[in-house]
Amino acid sequence: MNANLRDLFLSTFFAVVLGIVASASLLLFLGKNPIAAYTLLATSIIRDSYTIADIFVKATPLILTGLAFALPFKASLFNIGAQGQFYIGALAASAVSLALGERLPGLPGILLVIVAAMVAGGLWGAFIGWVKAKFNSNEFLISMMSTYVALAVMNYFLRTALMEAKHEYPQTDTFAPRLWLPTIFEGTRLHAGFILAVLFALFTWVLLYRTDLGYRIRVVGHNPTAARLSGIEASRIYISTFFLAGALAALAGVTETNGVQHMLVQGFNPTLGAEGIGIAILANANPIGIIFAAILFGALKVGGNVMGQMSGIPASIIEIMEGFVMIFVILSYFVRNFLATRRAKRVLQKSLAV
Amino acid sequence: MDSPYLELRDVTKLFAKVVANRHVSFSIQSGEVVALLGENGAGKSTIMKILYGLYHADSGEILINGVARKIASPKDAMALGIAMIQQHFSLVPAHSVTENIILGNASGRINLAAYQKQVRELATEYGFDIDPAALVRDLPVGVQQKVEILKALFQKARLLIMDEPTAVLTPQEAVKLMAFVRRFATAGHSVVFITHKLKEVMAVADRIIVMRNGEVHGDLLRASTDEKELSTLMIGRELPPLPKELAIPASAKEMLRLDGVSIRDAHGGCGLEEVSFAIREGEIFGIAGVSGNGQQELCEAICGFRPLASGSISLDGRDLARLGIRDRIGLGIGYVPADRQKDGLVMELSLAENMILKSSYDAKWKQWRLLDRPRIAQYANSKIQAYSIKAPGPDAVVKELSGGNQQKLVVAREVDNGTRLLIFDQPTRGLDLGAIDYVHKAILAERAKGKGVLCISTELSEIFALSDRIAVLYKGVIQGIFKKTELTTEKIGLLMAGYAIDAEIPNMTKESAK
Repeated sequence: MNANLRDLFLSTFFAVVLGIVASASLLLFLGKNPIAAYTLLATSIIRDSYTIADIFVKATPLILTGLAFALPFKASLFNIGAQGQFYIGALAASAVSLALGERLPGLPGILLVIVAAMVAGGLWGAFIGWVKAKFNSNEFLISMMSTYVALAVMNYFLRTALMEAKHEYPQTDTFAPRLWLPTIFEGTRLHAGFILAVLFALFTWVLLYRTDLGYRIRVVGHNPTAARLSGIEASRIYISTFFLAGALAALAGVTETNGVQHMLVQGFNPTLGAEGIGIAILANANPIGIIFAAILFGALKVGGNVMGQMSGIPASIIEIMEGFVMIFVILSYFVRNFLATRRAKRVLQKSLAV
Repeated sequence: MDSPYLELRDVTKLFAKVVANRHVSFSIQSGEVVALLGENGAGKSTIMKILYGLYHADSGEILINGVARKIASPKDAMALGIAMIQQHFSLVPAHSVTENIILGNASGRINLAAYQKQVRELATEYGFDIDPAALVRDLPVGVQQKVEILKALFQKARLLIMDEPTAVLTPQEAVKLMAFVRRFATAGHSVVFITHKLKEVMAVADRIIVMRNGEVHGDLLRASTDEKELSTLMIGRELPPLPKELAIPASAKEMLRLDGVSIRDAHGGCGLEEVSFAIREGEIFGIAGVSGNGQQELCEAICGFRPLASGSISLDGRDLARLGIRDRIGLGIGYVPADRQKDGLVMELSLAENMILKSSYDAKWKQWRLLDRPRIAQYANSKIQAYSIKAPGPDAVVKELSGGNQQKLVVAREVDNGTRLLIFDQPTRGLDLGAIDYVHKAILAERAKGKGVLCISTELSEIFALSDRIAVLYKGVIQGIFKKTELTTEKIGLLMAGYAIDAEIPNMTKESAK
């Protein structure tokens, strides 16, 4: 078990290093010195506490969209629609925040916003599970397409009911400051949403591995036939899993609107859903691993932005790097499997020789 | 002396956690039928899969006509004239017989008519009655096997390896297969016949290689051995006889009752046709038949997995029609499915997690909304001990257990779930004799507690050893219900093949009404 754990850390570490090295080769094509670029990347991330804190700000929604993919994945379901569920959550959070204004004190207000967003996103997600359960439709396609519907719904409201008082841009007014997620560290943008995201990652882990619902989610995921023969109704699992996934992605909407922008802007953060999938894969869909994978991606994002501003290197090199890292992490599963088999064989051979 | 056609020298194969083969050496001559005899898990299939290039040996070598050869893939094996017919056929159901046979052996523009003629000639030559244009999915399993054999013949195989070929056949079909095997060998070819059935070995083999625990434990000529010696070599110990049967008291209540149960199968598979019988408390009701004649449908109908087209099922006088699967589990129906890996277990989860598969809704496993893991582990541990399941512990992943231990796990769970009725479909398929004995004893013990038992098996010896009454199922129709003493192997063999023994079949509705 120790050897397996060691393999896990070593192989993931090497996968990340290989991903960085592979993207360095692309910098060479641009005639840039990769060592200088990476030095800049490393130093820019840890330049000041504001930048460091920003890593966690960026990681916050990624943890949640990562979980939104990982949880259904444990039931062998593909939730490609975290982006849409995120938008629905952001929309609901904004609507409630604007409606509340100054009417409620901070904490109950924020809780109301969170609950409303999670229920809205959850229902949006549950619909995907419901059509799968009812009509056996392909949840991959439905969830993917639902993102475009969600985007259209958000745009509609940004042009109508929720549009700013000036009626100039498709965005809302700024929320009442008491409904902003409180800042954890003075002088940074890091808000309480990060703590919420980590708590929900822990919650997801407990749900999956310590509750009977999570147990049934995994049973349906691994063997739907045996599940059905055991009286477990897969249709209910589909609906509840997608509800939870939608709620998690919607919470990312809250952390972005009420934690970072304090308003809703049309088409903001358009890649959170896709990055969530990458993070979930990077973490092998383990809720705890997702926290760390999201922080890694957050660091790359922050570093990429700073690097792009300072050295003339296109910030997209960071996305390429993310892609390479993911590929190498996936490959590392096979390496680990091979190593574990070989180790077990060695033990067996030794016992035979004696 | 000439070198033998094929020789294995010192072959060792390790899987991650088990030794599959250990220093296995034997040879196969041309024109010889070699039986590879051993319990399941003895390493028979593994050694043959190495020969066929599906697995790679960790050490040792393979010689063909005295020359060491490397067989890296089935393609290499076929090029050397080695063909293997797997337990699970590798045919494309939506393709015709001919298309399946030429698969991988034809390329470019295919003249299907010419191939069809070739296949027909080949089939006639070996006395197979097959339509080369028929779609494989429309063929019964026995005929599909012939397609597999034809495929091997088409590739000009010199060595034919058959993995448990008679498992899917009626006794009559099996006899025909044996005749083919003899004939193929007479032409100077070789056959390896993997089996654990002693009778077949004595009927068909020239030489018998006995394997146990991955090693060769005997290499004997048929003429100089007998079934007793072989069984001792195979098991390594004597099996204690099953405990004496109990008489069912006349007062025993009727518990499960099926009245005119019919099932329509949309997929053209076998449904059920007007099936009626009743099981009393403390009775083992055996159902014999070749697999695929409606056995699984019958089990699934009782468990609530399949809707009935007509008829009714009741347990303890309660009509089950409106009850779902979970309700029926709650009434005390336990079900050990034929395919434990597909229907009965979640292979990726732990032993303990599999123990609560059917009772995960039950409050007894929960403490404050969370799973009471220590309690579940304790429960699993008690079953590991009670059933002597060989496993590192309750957290062991089921995938890593042997087939016999997986089956014991399912039996242990279902015996607890099924407080009233136990349904066993092929309870000992793929198990070694030790595990078979264990499962049989468990079934008898549950009967002694007064549970009703429905025992479905394709193994006649199992049906005869356990059942109080026996029904024969053929194409979804019950051919008759008999007391054990009324039947002989010949008679049941005929019934299983669909022949009616008119005068002797008692009226089954009368029988069940008693």
